[in-house]
Amino acid sequence: MRQKAKELLESGEVKVVIGYGQGSAPFKSTPIFIEKPEDAHKLIWNPTCVNNLTVYLRDACRQGKAAIVVKPCDARSIIELIRENQIERDDVVILAMSCPGVLNLDALAEIDLADVKSVEWHQNGIAIKTNAGETIIPSEKAFASKCLSCELAESPIADEKFGEPIERHPIRSKYADIEELEKMLPEERRAYWARQFARCIRCYACRSVCPGCYCKECFTDKPCQLWVLRSTDVESNWFFHFSRAMHTAGRCIACGECERVCPMGIPLMRLNQKMRKEVREMFGEEAGTNPEAPPTLGTFDLKKDPDPCSE
Amino acid sequence: MEAKVILKQDLAAWIDALVKQYEVIAPVTEDGVVVFRPVSGLSEMAIEGMVGPAKSLREHFTPPTETLFDYKLEDLSAEVIPPENEERHRVIFGARACDAAALLYVDAVYSNVEPIDTAYFMRREKTYLVGLFCDKPAWSCFCTEVGDFLTNPVAMDVYLTDLGNRYYAEPLTPKGEELIGLGNFRPADENDKAANEEIRRKALERLPKRAEHETACLSYDWDHPVWIELAKKCLSCGACAFLCPTCHCFDIQEHPKLKKGSRYRCWDTCQFEKFTLMASGHNPRETRKERTRQRVFHKFKYSQERYCMLGCVGCGRCIAACPVNIDIRKVLEELEKTAVAK
Repeated sequence: MRQKAKELLESGEVKVVIGYGQGSAPFKSTPIFIEKPEDAHKLIWNPTCVNNLTVYLRDACRQGKAAIVVKPCDARSIIELIRENQIERDDVVILAMSCPGVLNLDALAEIDLADVKSVEWHQNGIAIKTNAGETIIPSEKAFASKCLSCELAESPIADEKFGEPIERHPIRSKYADIEELEKMLPEERRAYWARQFARCIRCYACRSVCPGCYCKECFTDKPCQLWVLRSTDVESNWFFHFSRAMHTAGRCIACGECERVCPMGIPLMRLNQKMRKEVREMFGEEAGTNPEAPPTLGTFDLKKDPDPCSE
Repeated sequence: MEAKVILKQDLAAWIDALVKQYEVIAPVTEDGVVVFRPVSGLSEMAIEGMVGPAKSLREHFTPPTETLFDYKLEDLSAEVIPPENEERHRVIFGARACDAAALLYVDAVYSNVEPIDTAYFMRREKTYLVGLFCDKPAWSCFCTEVGDFLTNPVAMDVYLTDLGNRYYAEPLTPKGEELIGLGNFRPADENDKAANEEIRRKALERLPKRAEHETACLSYDWDHPVWIELAKKCLSCGACAFLCPTCHCFDIQEHPKLKKGSRYRCWDTCQFEKFTLMASGHNPRETRKERTRQRVFHKFKYSQERYCMLGCVGCGRCIAACPVNIDIRKVLEELEKTAVAK
């Protein structure tokens, strides 16, 4: 992957390679933007590469052709960006990695993070080296919950693939969390979300990290139109999160970034997975699978779905 | 003031006594997140082996949303209704040394020019802090780089250290002695003092040494390459600022209804694009380069110039929470390299 990145920059085919670099701790990676071939060695690939880097793709493609390192799940965002006319297929070189799963940092509570030396994939999960020795964290604990239900053996869209396709045996249903919520009585569900949204501090990390949230001006930021109050009461927070879930319905590819970055631990993927399930049931479609298909909620087919008002 | 000790078995009774007289705000675990909120007894609290609270104490002094006044309109006259002074005297139990130290900084900000922020100072005066020594600093902690308040606490009334089966308690103010007087404490003996020292030594061993961050931004390098690097990856969210115990900026908003309404203030941050947008349409901090630079310069340069103190207490929340791993320690390192070179 580094070699390919180097070649792409040397030949001038791309202006930048967006990838993962070593973060400020051994269990952290950070997005990097490689512009010189001699810097290609800074690219890394290991279980700490959790970010969905496609959030940077629209801006990068406006500067010229860009290459990007993606996991199979993140690649689905590229499909969405293409079918929503946000980027051209020809403006991006997709460097698709085989991914056994990425690290769920929150699951490492019993490990002294200050003591970690390295984080590597292991056949049974993730191997964490500390001063005290090596600990193998089993997959069901080490990996992000999205990885436990992952069905993608390889990237659905790619220019170059690195690593062998990975045999998938999901150990968790994609909809496990929402099935639990669906069983609740409406008032219980209401109380559940009220408790979650009461914690929201409206930092908008969920929105900022979302590759699907690319509006030039978010409805929450309109200074003169009070779509939603900036006050952090439960109602306003609720309105913000539900509006976002509706705006990304049919487009959310379930990369889980919104939930990962929420500093208040709000389980936002439960909203998004619910919308994905609804879209699948109603339209038979899943976001991030077909770049040729028109956007699910951005089209209206009068033949398939006649409008009674026009008759 | 004399250090005392309370056995853990007596803690519940002490908390009960505090709850009788004060509103007690303490760490609670909710859906896996540690938050400070009012409690009615020890059983609700997540004080034992407490991990880092998600938020600082900021919301208890400057709430994320605070009504400044309500108003009513009748023909051509307007009636302004001031907010009720809701707070009774409170005890914040289990405060971190970093979060307490941040209050001194915010005190300076909100009293620097007239008029002082009366709502904030009313809460400050009515609040007593029972701090808890941080015996398991997180990977992102660097309080010892920016001050020595971990072992010489400020803005607290009592400082507790967990000694296993008991808490070591240092009263730091007469009010602190009064609070301790409500529990079954005994004077600390030599063993307690030694155990306390040992726990402090172990925590300090894990933490970095005092750094010279006072000099980091002296070069005032407006076009340092680090800003360009940050601008590329920063996503302009407000996670860093809204978790920060010293960030204090707010916006004033109106909630108008037909013949009544309210004016409130709510947290705002220099990381948001609209923060410096002028009515004319001009934005002096138009790109992420200017905005990320502002956050670092504000904490490590402007704060020294204005208040003679750093605007950072090293709690590390911005580091742990940043979605793209922007680490302010690394930014300072980069700036210090050039500061030295010059």
